[in-house]
Amino acid sequence: MNPTDPILTVQAIHTFIGQFHILEGVSFTVPRGSISVLLGRNGAGKTTTLKSIMGMTPPREGTILFDGQNLIGKRPYHIAQLGIGYVPEHRAIFKELTVRENLEIAERKRGDLARRGDLIFDLFPDLKRLYTLLGGNLSGGQQQMLAIARALVPDNRLLLIDEPSEGLAPVIIEQLMSAIERLSAQTTILLVEQNFRMASKLAQLYTIIDDGRSAISGSMSDLVRDEALIQRYLGVA
Amino acid sequence: MLRQRTSWITIIILIAALLIFAAATSRNLGTFGITVLSGLFQAMLLFLVASGLSIIFGLMDVLNFAQGGFFMIGAYVAYDVHHPGGLIDMTGAIPNADLRFFLSILAAIVIGALLGAFLERGLLRPLYARPIFQLVLTFGVSLVLVEAVRFIWSTTPYSWTALFSVREGYFTLFEQQFSTYRLFVIGIGFFLIVAIALLLQRTRIGIIIRAGVEDSGMVEALGINVRAVFTLVFTFGCAVAAFGGAIAAPFLGASIGMSSSFLLSAIAVVVLGGLGSYVGTAAGSILVGLAIAVMANYSAEFLNLPVLASMTPMLLLVLVLLLRPSGLFGERR
Amino acid sequence: MKERAIPWVFLLILVSLIAFPFIVALLTGSSPLGVARGDRMIMRGESVRWQAVLIEIFLLGILAMSYNLIFGFTGVISFGHALFFGMGGYTIGLLLEFTDLDTTSALIFGLIGGLALAALLGLIIGLVSLRLQGVYFAIFTLAVAEMFFIFFGRLQLTRAEDGFAITDLPVWLDPTQSRLTFYYIVLAVFVLTFVFIRRLVNSPTGAVFKAIRENEDRASAIGYNPLTYKLIAITIGGVFAALAGILQVILNKKVGPELLSVTYTVDPLLMTIIGGIGTFTGPVIGASGLHLLDTALREQIVTIGSTTIRVADSWSLLLGLIFIAVVLIFPQGIVGTWMRWRARRVRLSSPPKGAENPVQADH
Ligand SMILES: Nc1ncnc2c1ncn2[C@@H]1O[C@H](COP(=O)(O)OP(=O)(O)OP(=O)(O)O)[C@@H](O)[C@H]1O
Ligand SMILES: [Mg+2]
Repeated sequence: MNPTDPILTVQAIHTFIGQFHILEGVSFTVPRGSISVLLGRNGAGKTTTLKSIMGMTPPREGTILFDGQNLIGKRPYHIAQLGIGYVPEHRAIFKELTVRENLEIAERKRGDLARRGDLIFDLFPDLKRLYTLLGGNLSGGQQQMLAIARALVPDNRLLLIDEPSEGLAPVIIEQLMSAIERLSAQTTILLVEQNFRMASKLAQLYTIIDDGRSAISGSMSDLVRDEALIQRYLGVA
Repeated sequence: MLRQRTSWITIIILIAALLIFAAATSRNLGTFGITVLSGLFQAMLLFLVASGLSIIFGLMDVLNFAQGGFFMIGAYVAYDVHHPGGLIDMTGAIPNADLRFFLSILAAIVIGALLGAFLERGLLRPLYARPIFQLVLTFGVSLVLVEAVRFIWSTTPYSWTALFSVREGYFTLFEQQFSTYRLFVIGIGFFLIVAIALLLQRTRIGIIIRAGVEDSGMVEALGINVRAVFTLVFTFGCAVAAFGGAIAAPFLGASIGMSSSFLLSAIAVVVLGGLGSYVGTAAGSILVGLAIAVMANYSAEFLNLPVLASMTPMLLLVLVLLLRPSGLFGERR
Repeated sequence: MKERAIPWVFLLILVSLIAFPFIVALLTGSSPLGVARGDRMIMRGESVRWQAVLIEIFLLGILAMSYNLIFGFTGVISFGHALFFGMGGYTIGLLLEFTDLDTTSALIFGLIGGLALAALLGLIIGLVSLRLQGVYFAIFTLAVAEMFFIFFGRLQLTRAEDGFAITDLPVWLDPTQSRLTFYYIVLAVFVLTFVFIRRLVNSPTGAVFKAIRENEDRASAIGYNPLTYKLIAITIGGVFAALAGILQVILNKKVGPELLSVTYTVDPLLMTIIGGIGTFTGPVIGASGLHLLDTALREQIVTIGSTTIRVADSWSLLLGLIFIAVVLIFPQGIVGTWMRWRARRVRLSSPPKGAENPVQADH
């Protein structure tokens, strides 16, 4: 891992939703091959940061560089096609589509699913069994796996994963964690995670977002030891 | 799934009740047959307007008030191409009436598609952030279409005079003559119901549309140019409505009143079926089409109150909105 | 919100409107009363001609203001406004022509009855359907209005499509006899409507209307029931629309299903949008502008190359195109755009503020 070779650079972005100024200067970098995590209280602006990267809530100011390309002004589908996979919060899979269709729709080239099938079913063996079920009939954990699997269908170089552990049982969280860990061998991952234990185990780097601003970034191993900092920004010990 | 099943049972019971009522109030099997046939005929035309309305609303959250206008335009274009005089006179170039009819349908589809694409790209696209204005805009466009027809053609309704083979045919059943053209339209309608269903279920674009109905933002985040899909679907919806007008014209002629009457009936259909639900739209079309025919027959035979028949779709619409605004197959909101 | 004083511009306009028939009369050398022929008056001459134009503007203005109360200030989109207009007209028409009441009682009961019926319809429609969300409410109102339109178009009692003429008007009210009197009556109603709606919108109730328009959930979160307030808006809007309908029937001395047609929904919608949604003067400016344009262009004949186009034939088409253009290009309408432009000039000359707010001023 070479911190001078970031795959993603977010520089001083300002994002508005309607007339509300939600992000007021968020900056951080994501090194190639790393797992980085965005931390912060509820409503701090973590999801909005991911959506800003995806172009779903386009920033009004600032720059976002992905592999040297500026993402500002590009439409979400275009940004996705550059090689970014988005796993939204609340497991936004398509409930009226079967598991198979949920995966097929993510194909960017014909045959994507066939090529990546082995990897996906290796990570999430359950999905094979559920292949013809409607997304809405899956359990919460299965839906989360499907949401991540969906982002794996095309060749993405960066995955944005928003709170995968939300509302899941500890056993399932363990499964997810090992899947994400194995994934990071292949792609860079930017995670949003409230579950500090999970975040601290997975990620090498963190950025804390507080009230729409990036407050502090650094390496996870430093943060784990700095209880005052954790207490101040995250309210967890 | 369970909900789907109860929806199916409800709609089947409703259709059965209508048929029984029709049978009980018909003088003989012949008039019953006529009622059912004209009901299904009406149903298929409604489906052609309503399917676009429903899918467009589901996918893009735009209630296209101009959908009835496209139906009307289709009727006028088909009439114009098929008959001597008018804007385009093809009678000399293509004396064969059947071929000319085929061509007039094609012309209606093309015009509907072009106008639809223009409406979406040029007028609706800038307004996706302002849904109320989209509503107001499509409402305005529906009036402009009527005025354009008034300007280009005439204010008096046209009735179809140049006959061709399918239009002229009759067959006899229960000592009653039935028009083959009605059967022809019903056949086309059923074919399209199945074809569009297959398109939605089996093709990639179909998957994208169904996913987009749920969450178009997420579809776009997967790398799919959703706006292009919007344009495609809108264009297709308008073309299908224009096609409906074209095949209706040989029977219903072409008139300005078609626009609002088909729009309101089609809205009744989609609200009844559940906006955005394809199955609901197909089933709702059949129900509303039959209801109109049954009421027309009943009020003509017994009540001497022809108003009732023309008010049936509106009455149905108001009732459904009051009793069950999310419709039979709709998401409960 | 503080009640603002009536700006002097409004007073100036009011005075000129009162003097208007006489000014035109002076300028053109015609009589503001028309021409006497025996014991009857003939409505001939520039002054009475222009009175008719202004009467129509006042009528349309009342209708547009009533629509703006519902759509512009409360944010409820109704496509059935013609229902109120038409039912007001039918009520007074029916009482005048189809009952044994003497003319004065028929007029009084027609006025009260028409307004009461509109209020009742507004209440009923609101009660049963306001819980429907945006699109569904628009559909519902359109369907109800269309139902009445079809019904009265076929009702033999009221001569179906042809409608019936009002023959039984007292001379003092009859616009073909005493147009000047009618001019002042309509002007008075117009001014009262304007003042009433302005006060209502500037009252605490009006503040809730606007809160609902901006964000319904937030309005209900701070303890107002949006349904109640929408009901108030639609009922009051309906009553004023009926008032316009009643005056229209007296003006044209004719009742017919066209009063219930979608035209009387589209016109106020158009005028409100063109003039400026959610502004006080917008609907009036929209109504004046469109009606003046209509009267000016109706007689025109445009020749492009070898084709001659009578504007009258394509007037509605033209209107529709203007409508679409305005929705796309100036969604704030004339008044709204002007206020934005002025606000921007003010902002440029003073230090910039944070977020831009939609301008709400006393216009
Ligand atoms: N559509 C919207 N309109 C207004 N404010 C919004 C909207 N969406 C988000 N916000 C606000 O933006 C802020 C940041 O929201 P965001 O979803 O990014 O937070 P988050 O850090 O992801 O929180 P959580 O951990 O709860 O998911 C919040 O205060 C939220 O209320
Ligand atoms: Mg979040």
